Amino acid sequence: MIPSRAVNAAEEKEAMLPRRDWILLPAIGLLTIGLLAGSTEFLARRMFYESKTGVASCMVLNDPTTGARGIANAVCRGKAPESEWTEYRFNHCGHRAGMECAPKQPGVYRIVMIGSSVAMGEYVQREKTFAALLPSELARLTGRKVELYNEGMGWGFSHSTTLRFKDALQAQPDLILWVLTHEDVARAPVVLPTADLDPNAGVSFSAKAWLRAHDIFAGKSIMDGVAGVFGHTRTALLLRHFLYRSQSQYVKSYLLGSNAGFLRTELDAGWKARLKEFDGDATEIEGRSKMAGVPFAAVFVPIHSQAAMVSAGAWPPGYDPYTLDNAMRAIIVSHGGTYLDILPDFRSIPDPGRYYMPVDGHPNAQGHAVYTVLIAKELASGAIPALRAAVQPQGAPERAK
Amino acid sequence: MDTSSFQFVLFGLAAALVSNFSRSRVWRSAVLLASSLVFLGLLAHNPLVFIPLAGFLLLGYGGLLLLERGRSKSEVWSILTVLFAYIWLKKYTFLPESIFLHSPYFTLGLSYIFFRVLHLLIEAGDRSEKRHIGPGAYLLYTLNFTTLLSGPIQRYDEFARDQFAQEPIPLGPRVMGLQLERIVRGFFKVNVLAMLFDMARADALTQISQPLPLSLKLYAAFRLALVYPLFLYANFSGYIDIVIALARLMRVRLPENFARPFSASSVLEFWNRWHITLSTWLKTYVYNPLLVALMRRIQPAALQPFLGVFCFFVTFFLVGVWHGRTSEFIIFGVMTGGGMSVNKLWQLGLVRGLGRKGYRGLSDQPAYVAFGRGLNFIWFAFTLFWFWASWMQIDTIFAALSVSQWLGVWLAAWLSATLLLALWEWLRVVLLSIKTAEGPVLTSRYARVVYASALGLIAFVLTVLLNQPAPGIVYKAF
Repeated sequence: MIPSRAVNAAEEKEAMLPRRDWILLPAIGLLTIGLLAGSTEFLARRMFYESKTGVASCMVLNDPTTGARGIANAVCRGKAPESEWTEYRFNHCGHRAGMECAPKQPGVYRIVMIGSSVAMGEYVQREKTFAALLPSELARLTGRKVELYNEGMGWGFSHSTTLRFKDALQAQPDLILWVLTHEDVARAPVVLPTADLDPNAGVSFSAKAWLRAHDIFAGKSIMDGVAGVFGHTRTALLLRHFLYRSQSQYVKSYLLGSNAGFLRTELDAGWKARLKEFDGDATEIEGRSKMAGVPFAAVFVPIHSQAAMVSAGAWPPGYDPYTLDNAMRAIIVSHGGTYLDILPDFRSIPDPGRYYMPVDGHPNAQGHAVYTVLIAKELASGAIPALRAAVQPQGAPERAK
Repeated sequence: MDTSSFQFVLFGLAAALVSNFSRSRVWRSAVLLASSLVFLGLLAHNPLVFIPLAGFLLLGYGGLLLLERGRSKSEVWSILTVLFAYIWLKKYTFLPESIFLHSPYFTLGLSYIFFRVLHLLIEAGDRSEKRHIGPGAYLLYTLNFTTLLSGPIQRYDEFARDQFAQEPIPLGPRVMGLQLERIVRGFFKVNVLAMLFDMARADALTQISQPLPLSLKLYAAFRLALVYPLFLYANFSGYIDIVIALARLMRVRLPENFARPFSASSVLEFWNRWHITLSTWLKTYVYNPLLVALMRRIQPAALQPFLGVFCFFVTFFLVGVWHGRTSEFIIFGVMTGGGMSVNKLWQLGLVRGLGRKGYRGLSDQPAYVAFGRGLNFIWFAFTLFWFWASWMQIDTIFAALSVSQWLGVWLAAWLSATLLLALWEWLRVVLLSIKTAEGPVLTSRYARVVYASALGLIAFVLTVLLNQPAPGIVYKAF
């Protein structure tokens, strides 16, 4: 038999805890947790203020014949947690174009841009969007007078864009430029945003609390449920905002999600089906451009995770940030359009995370500046003969900083 | 099951709870064995993958039985066989590929089982009075889920003393509170601190090879130089905190594996504070026997101090090589052993030059200690490049800057480490000097509850967040 070893000094003081400590210690613990959680949430709400109104106040969101569209002559302001206050001013045609929808001036090369929220410049002051910066950059490269009429619209994914495409043709374009993101494939058939609205929006606080508590216990696991509820707090946003500044962490976290399927080497059946729907919309848009005799170009702008993977030059086995880029190029080119490929340029852009809002994912003003340089370089590279630069531009995204 | 996850902690707590249903050693042993087997089952679902591990354990036990029956001549052969089986199962790259098993099998924890089995064989061979270790005790000791994957390496006697004690060691509310606090602290270290340090390392690694301005590249190199030891410490010591606390809740005391290692002001001292059970094991079974054997054979007194230098090199070369099976670890071993030897030579040189008293006086100088601490830290950080990086990564890292730029980075790292570690030591002393009659305020149970609650909340929240995917473009503005 082996005797018990002499207990060490701390354990010898095995005297019972004072009775008050049975109350006091848990109370201190709870108080600490309450104070920490409360003060962090308070701080996060101050740091990441979100306005009650935003661009949605200036939009018609329930017209299935046009998809989401801007209200003529509407002006509204909004602030997302990670963005600055942004003004959205729509012209009398309902576009955030920075100009009226009037016939173009003689001698001006007019680009009409279509696309979704990134094209519209959501969360970015209009004068800092690439829609506003491209004309001067192109004029500098080509020596031509260029203007860009922006018909990009929040929720203007591919099918929604087809519904409003006649507006693009009516704007007398010399070139139609379609700004694409992976969302144009992921949400190709979406016309109205209602399907993606917060299902609990407008519900009273107590009902919302009940629904969220229900989510915890009805979910696949308690951890998922807790994460679902916690994800709605501003503390979660604050933590994510700082954690996702790390490119490695952001990519790691992004690849955990089901949204990351388009970054896989092989697209799954779901993504293939969505690509097919996108292909249908691209066929229509490019066909109508061709019929109108307007040159057509599309540019695929990467999201944060894609840009980070390309910039790092390394990604986990089974993933490839170029998969969707290649698939979209094949579609656009097959219908006679020009595909402007800016994704490989991110290889020489270090730390691309600074060009995106870490949690929201939209490009910030710096991101728009980078897009400007890259898109202008592609447009002036000879892909669009009318915009061929006198001197071939060098990729210099660092200039945009 | 991830070994530092909520699930692991909950599993360990559940095992501890059930173990405490009875004070009987049979019951506690049955619970520990069942928990260890369930733990193995959770790590791999196909029983076939455990066959090589079972074979290894059988081999060890066979050797042990032979030694217990007085076949002392079989000691060397048993040890060599176990050593070869270990190298073979771990697929060390210096062996031909063709001799390895090609179907997948389970090797997690094998490195630590190897040390435990060797310890049993050596002790059985050396003991004058023989003892018998039954198969149940052998399995409990080698497969104990609290020490299976990353140690600490516990001696059998210490394990048996607590595990098989007629009267188990006491476990009152105060001890339980301390263990719960330690679990929270360990969980925080692994899941928050280590995660943040690893994030910084991964970003710096990416940035160092990118077309950045020189100042940013130097900054990336600086971070890369400093951050890995911190990651490793948080990750490893955090895990050890968790398992030591879980074992204590099961009324077994595991040995400590870390003693504030970055307070060490020399490489020699560092290895007395870092992965203590590994270096103790190797000192016991490699350094001491080797030194004794060499001293018997090499008589001149002038040479004897240098025998210690040589033995340090061999012992800590093995520490390096044991960590991995590729050629990077040979360099890691050479550097670890080399660091120990050079430090010993430095010590001998100073003693010779200044005399013992002079050397002691110098060693007590705060500036000498502070710079030594910084130097030890960056030396460790430097050697660790061959621990965590592949040759290709090492090539990329060191090609990113010129030799003089790297020298500048390491100099800056040394000075920063010196300054920050000195500041940390000072802060620690100041904080611990705030006392009541019961001791330092910071270690009182009230303070412990405060910071355990805070660390627990932060660790929980971050773990939840980081296990969730990052959102894509958020369209909730509508």
